[in-house]
Amino acid sequence: MDHNDIFALMMDMLDGEASESEARTLEAHLRACPECEQEWRALVAIDTLFRQTPALSPAADFVEKTLARLPNRRARIWAMGAIYSAILLGGLIPLAMLGYLGYKLLPVLSQPALIGSVLKSLGTTYHAASVIMGALASGAGEALVQQPVYVGLMMVVAGIIFLWGGVYRRLVMTEV
Amino acid sequence: MMNKTQEIGALNDEQVWLEQAMKGDQIAFGKLVEAYQTPVYNLAYRMLNNSGEAEEAAQEAFVRAYTRLESYNPAHKFSTWLLSITSNYCIDQLRKRRAVLLSIDEPLPPHPALHSDGEKNPESQVVMSEQQQMVQSLLSELEPEYREAVVLRYWYELSYDEIAEIMDTTVSAIKSRLFRARRQLAEIGLERGLVPAMEKEIA
Repeated sequence: MDHNDIFALMMDMLDGEASESEARTLEAHLRACPECEQEWRALVAIDTLFRQTPALSPAADFVEKTLARLPNRRARIWAMGAIYSAILLGGLIPLAMLGYLGYKLLPVLSQPALIGSVLKSLGTTYHAASVIMGALASGAGEALVQQPVYVGLMMVVAGIIFLWGGVYRRLVMTEV
Repeated sequence: MMNKTQEIGALNDEQVWLEQAMKGDQIAFGKLVEAYQTPVYNLAYRMLNNSGEAEEAAQEAFVRAYTRLESYNPAHKFSTWLLSITSNYCIDQLRKRRAVLLSIDEPLPPHPALHSDGEKNPESQVVMSEQQQMVQSLLSELEPEYREAVVLRYWYELSYDEIAEIMDTTVSAIKSRLFRARRQLAEIGLERGLVPAMEKEIA
């Protein structure tokens, strides 16, 4: 048996993975080889020392200090609130603008057909805005998905949210 | 060590805390910190050999775990995931340390007080026993990858597979590192005449 095999045996012995016959083979070699005997004693000493040395614990205030470093949840809630407000505002502003436009154009466009179509598109936009706000309030996304116009609008809004959310996420994740 | 019933109970608690923590419950996360503070700190200390740096590393590991909870895969043990975050951080710190030392023009003589706690550490309230000092002194002689393999082997109930997972390598690589590390430690032990001292401590 060459020494590489002997060392491999020693490792298995330390790991408790040596068979009875392997253990006897090692013992026999150690009786014959004083260098290996010395190395074996040192290996056992190291192994035992490490196994008997307890793990080290941190100071008593460790948990407290760690929790103090966690990202601030309140700032995130504020950020989320701000984002939702932005969406609402995003829905209300065009609605208000259209309402104003409609009001301004009303005396000029006195033809019933035109008024009819303008009112109809106003109604659609209002409907869109109210559906979006309703969806946000109730959390139901199905109404939106059924109408492609809403989907398009939501994608634009979602894009804005993701961008803003990314910035906020980075802001609130850093230590205060 | 816990018995089987206690172990299962603890795992159930951990699952609840994890679920709550993922929803942003910091108190629940605090329970996880409490449960794992010793394993995480122990790894950090044995790697970095400095109580201040170890505390910083351990805290940072938990913070990273908290911010990355969505990426935790429940198929693996939480402890293994946490330890691998800790280990990556410590290895990075050791690399930075080495980069700083190499960047200095004048070669500095290796001074244990520069980074390690040594025998005296006025900042630390915990006085290390001679046994702990001996262990740290031995560990600090090893290269980081060997040191880590030894630490994970001796202070954690981890299988070779789990150690390989934490160190992001193969089982045969781990066994080979452990093999070399043990022999190196044995040699140092003999050189320093520590072996008779160790045998006395053990007795």
